[in-house]
Amino acid sequence: MTFSADRSTMIEFRDVHKYYGDYHALRGISGEIKSGEFFSLLGPSGCGKTTLLRTIAGFEGISSGAVLIDGKDTAGIPPNKRPTNMVFQSYAIFPHLTVAENVGFGLRRDPRSAAEKSRAVDEALEMVGLKGYGGRAANALSGGQRQRVALARALILKPKVLLLDEPLSALDKKMRELMQVELIKLQRQVGITFILVTHDQEEALVMSDRIAVMFEGEIAQLADPETLYRRPNSRKVADFIGTMNFIPCEVLSQGMDTIEVDAKGLGRVTLSTDQAPPPNGKESPVVGLRPETLTLLYPGQSTQDRTVDGVVDEVIYFGDMTYYDVYIGGTDVEVRLSMRNVPGRPILDVGTQVQLAWNPSALVLFR
Amino acid sequence: MSGNKSSGGRSGQLGRSEAKSGLLLISPTAIFALLLLAAPLATIIAYSFMADGYLTIIPQFQICNYIGTCSSYEMKDGVLTAAKEYKGVFSDPLAQTLLVRSLGVSMMVTLVTVVLAFPVAYFVSFHVGPDRKSLWLFLITIPFWTSYLVRVFLWKVILGYNGVINSALLGIGIIDEPITALNYNVGAIITTLAHAYAPFAILPIFVALEKIDRSFLEAGQDLGESAFNTFRRVTLPLAMPGVISATLIVFIPTVGDYVTPNLVGGPEGKLVANLIQLQYMKLDNYPLGSATAVSAMLLVAIVSLIFLFLTRRYLRGPK
Repeated sequence: MTFSADRSTMIEFRDVHKYYGDYHALRGISGEIKSGEFFSLLGPSGCGKTTLLRTIAGFEGISSGAVLIDGKDTAGIPPNKRPTNMVFQSYAIFPHLTVAENVGFGLRRDPRSAAEKSRAVDEALEMVGLKGYGGRAANALSGGQRQRVALARALILKPKVLLLDEPLSALDKKMRELMQVELIKLQRQVGITFILVTHDQEEALVMSDRIAVMFEGEIAQLADPETLYRRPNSRKVADFIGTMNFIPCEVLSQGMDTIEVDAKGLGRVTLSTDQAPPPNGKESPVVGLRPETLTLLYPGQSTQDRTVDGVVDEVIYFGDMTYYDVYIGGTDVEVRLSMRNVPGRPILDVGTQVQLAWNPSALVLFR
Repeated sequence: MSGNKSSGGRSGQLGRSEAKSGLLLISPTAIFALLLLAAPLATIIAYSFMADGYLTIIPQFQICNYIGTCSSYEMKDGVLTAAKEYKGVFSDPLAQTLLVRSLGVSMMVTLVTVVLAFPVAYFVSFHVGPDRKSLWLFLITIPFWTSYLVRVFLWKVILGYNGVINSALLGIGIIDEPITALNYNVGAIITTLAHAYAPFAILPIFVALEKIDRSFLEAGQDLGESAFNTFRRVTLPLAMPGVISATLIVFIPTVGDYVTPNLVGGPEGKLVANLIQLQYMKLDNYPLGSATAVSAMLLVAIVSLIFLFLTRRYLRGPK
């Protein structure tokens, strides 16, 4: 999953700040997006991710810093002169034009002949799976089809960077999952840098080569999906990406390579230093544990991992999975764990005494 | 299946009773509209096919009020006898001239009004903050606070021989004697009517511009078009329904306007409405006046339909 570092840089942010009056929307964004990368800007609404995307497109000016596209500073370059194209959240399909006219909108000054342009439009429509839709009125399309038209309209111009502003948020769940896969395939096929803005962490994890998690105008962590999920660098990021149990703990000693903590309910644990991102000192220390790293031991099962006793407090049945909330180690600390529902494995009742297996390497220490 | 059928039947009954209550709801308005719009219109159409008597209308079908030569009847020794002859609307060169001139003046007024209204509507829609838009619309309607007649007289004051413009130009020494070409001509009619109808043109264009999703404009620029070309290829076509409404709203009533041409039009600025007034009031020829009115109405309808036909591609709604 890690992205090859030898690729050239396509977008570079240099300490980008953006103010709306007194409101500090972007607070010193720095970072690079590689050529050909599928990059996501992930964060809750109001975190500045869309604003950042729009600074690349040229719809927002920046207050200080610089945005470079393919090595060139974009200051003063209007949107229509930038090598970027955008798929808008609303898709912005022109209602007065047909599908083909929409897709061919940006080709007006293209020196090719009308027949060649028309062939290019047909090819673009075929690429997004809308072959033969050219003559239809744009108003007659469904949400998914509009999005495909928006994609074709942008990609036909062969931009260096394709910007996607929450493109899947208006679609239903099935359609969204289908389009996620199609977008990944399309990106591999055309090889263009894709930058996706989303508030859906699952979508970002599924689609991206790398993700920048943003909170309040700042990049909290920039990493590949696996690192982000397994080794979040702060409790906030850990909480935003997936589910994580946070267990209060006490740091007993800090060595060169190891840290010894006493986690409530779990007991003494020795962690390696790469399980502990740099402390921010604001919160009392906790260890984080993903639900799927905890396992219920059924009668007769044994494990190499460490174990802890618990009592089932809540059972949440999901069909393929069951989530259990369990009090551990005779304390008031509750953890959530997920178990795959396989044949012969009963769903436990509330109040059942259970034994959980867990591995210290799955822990992350936030302090 | 039977369940479906019965529910279909129920919804059908429901639909009928809804239609009934709908009719009941609109009936006061419908009756009002019938009495005040349809009945006078029917009367005028009926008059236009009748003969003109002295202070009466003789119910005798004829088409000479439109084409050919008619006779006015007068009472002589207790018997109705044909007296003066007159020509029907489409046989009378004067009526033809006035009809054509009226259409021409109305078209000019419409063009001037819509062309001037568009930038105002555009400014209010695109460059006025959302919290200030109502204030601007309110300001635009201020001229409506005074009567139409007062506004026309106001233009007489502005354009007249000793009017505001002439006095000002004389005062700063640009001219030595007042310009007479300002008032009492077609130009004065166009100025006055364009001013009077400006809000009617601004509002529908404003509404159409407001409905344009701003992301369309960003998309236009994102796809490589300059702000001007985005306006030409996106904003203008999407504003066309508003422009078309504005055009019709201004064009249709101005053809029949008789106050403005009477007051500021001068001898060369008489329009068809003045002729109708003359035929009804001075000549006491209701059938001919009615025929002229119906002819003007038909011409307006034909021109409007042609206009709608030519602009129909902008009016295709969501399919």
